[in-house]
Amino acid sequence: MTDRPADDIAGAGRGKWGIGLLLVAAPVLLVCWLVIYPIISAVARTVWLPNEGSGSAFSLETYQFFFSDQYSLNNLYLTLWTTFVCAFILIIICLPIALYLRFSGGKLPAYVQGLAIFPMFVPSIVLSYAFIRVLGPNGTVDLLLNAVGLPKIRSPYLTPWGPVIGLVWDHIPLTVLILVSGLGGISNQSVEAARDVGAGRLAVLWYIILPRLTNSILVAVSFSILGIFSAFTLPYVLGPAAPEMMGPFMQRTFRELLDPTSAITQAVVAFAFCLVFGLFYVYSVAKNRRE
Amino acid sequence: MAETLDRRIDWTGIFFAVVLTIVIIFPLLVVGTWAFTNVWRYPSVIPQEFGLRYWYTTLARADVWSSISMSISLACMVTFLSALICLPAAYAFARLDFPGRNILFFSFLAGQAFPKFGLLVAIAGIFLQLNLIGTFWGVVLIQLVGTLLFMIWIPVAAFQAVDRRMEEAARDVGASPIRVFWSITLPQAGPTIAAAVMLTFVNTFYETEGAWLIGAPAIRTMPVLMISFINNQPVIQFGAVLSVLLWVPSFFAILFARRVISSGSFARGFGG
Repeated sequence: MTDRPADDIAGAGRGKWGIGLLLVAAPVLLVCWLVIYPIISAVARTVWLPNEGSGSAFSLETYQFFFSDQYSLNNLYLTLWTTFVCAFILIIICLPIALYLRFSGGKLPAYVQGLAIFPMFVPSIVLSYAFIRVLGPNGTVDLLLNAVGLPKIRSPYLTPWGPVIGLVWDHIPLTVLILVSGLGGISNQSVEAARDVGAGRLAVLWYIILPRLTNSILVAVSFSILGIFSAFTLPYVLGPAAPEMMGPFMQRTFRELLDPTSAITQAVVAFAFCLVFGLFYVYSVAKNRRE
Repeated sequence: MAETLDRRIDWTGIFFAVVLTIVIIFPLLVVGTWAFTNVWRYPSVIPQEFGLRYWYTTLARADVWSSISMSISLACMVTFLSALICLPAAYAFARLDFPGRNILFFSFLAGQAFPKFGLLVAIAGIFLQLNLIGTFWGVVLIQLVGTLLFMIWIPVAAFQAVDRRMEEAARDVGASPIRVFWSITLPQAGPTIAAAVMLTFVNTFYETEGAWLIGAPAIRTMPVLMISFINNQPVIQFGAVLSVLLWVPSFFAILFARRVISSGSFARGFGG
């Protein structure tokens, strides 16, 4: 980051400062207005509530309501359950794929990689529709089972497993990409050296690869948790009506119950639960970018 | 080691290829089949009658056409505004020196630290006071915010990759700064920037949550219409045809942006 303009002569510095700041002003102001200010304002307006008089006073009333209301708590538990089940399944599925892609070459791995990245090009709403057609009642799986004389499946559509399947499908590409990128940092020599002294496949995985991959796994998990905790489309279309995940819950509170203060309280609760993962994720991205 | 591996049959690879084909491609093929089906009654494994009947009926619906034009005009407007404010900023971040450059550059990450829908609800709370709920420009603003990170970070990398010596040589022989930018910088940075613009367009086209939260009911984009088809439309083929139509921008994205995505720098942008 030592680049300087070619004609950066003495005295021109101040004018360049002005031009630089002017050029970046619009997007920076937009981030301040529509990212930073809304977050501060969301916290502020849920703890400074208008009282009977004309002013407003500090109060944790909306949070007390959220954490004492059984329906809100059920939604929160469902969201936490879905988030952790998805993150777990994602690592179980994507780690073997990433390991395979890292340690093999040729046409077949290229095809596997193409397939693993493909969901990135499928909008979640099309995915939801495909899910219903395949796994929904009288869907393709039922057709095939029926054709060979087996009973129908208990469809995951409109159960908590519906969003889990959809969200895992949706998050496979970036999880695989992040893990493959992390595996790229492990040299072939270190793996071969361990194999030479007689380490088996599992030992290499456990003692050589996983310790060096921990950071990438944490980044991948943080990224999925941020995306899944407040996911909206897939839980809204595929999930049960009650309890519902935080995304549909916030949307309904805001648009149907017309209660923005409660909706924003739910949003702040979501921020709080994801804070550690969010900060860690942003820190990792910034660190990578600096290198 | 690679040679011995090549001679053996790659059972792991075959396993992944088969499972991923079934899990990822098969459901989409089912949707594609439904779109070209006139009659498919349970329990037949294949449709009783193929045909284009539902393309005609879907494309005859006024709500489908209004959602297509709404989606296209929203995505064009957001991409245009995003390029207008982000590309000059990206150039400044890559080339100019000014106070607070680093902290401003990393400020675009702020939105990534929070669960997205929560942030949208917080923004919606502000739009409510500004009467932007249910308006075109409210949706434009909320989608514009979502494009900033990509539209600045990818072009910054592109501008930084341009060979500075060629620019300096052009300046030395008397080319004006604008001429240098137009003839040297832009052609080199162009393909990556074009990919960023393309991805921004496609991502905006598919953006559902902001459009649904801020725009409903007045602003109906194709994904929003798709939600109502899934929830309330008994004719299965309408949704299938709309899905195929919805997938068209993705198809072009795969053609043009695949190289950007398979490259390592893309994954690193997500912290990989």
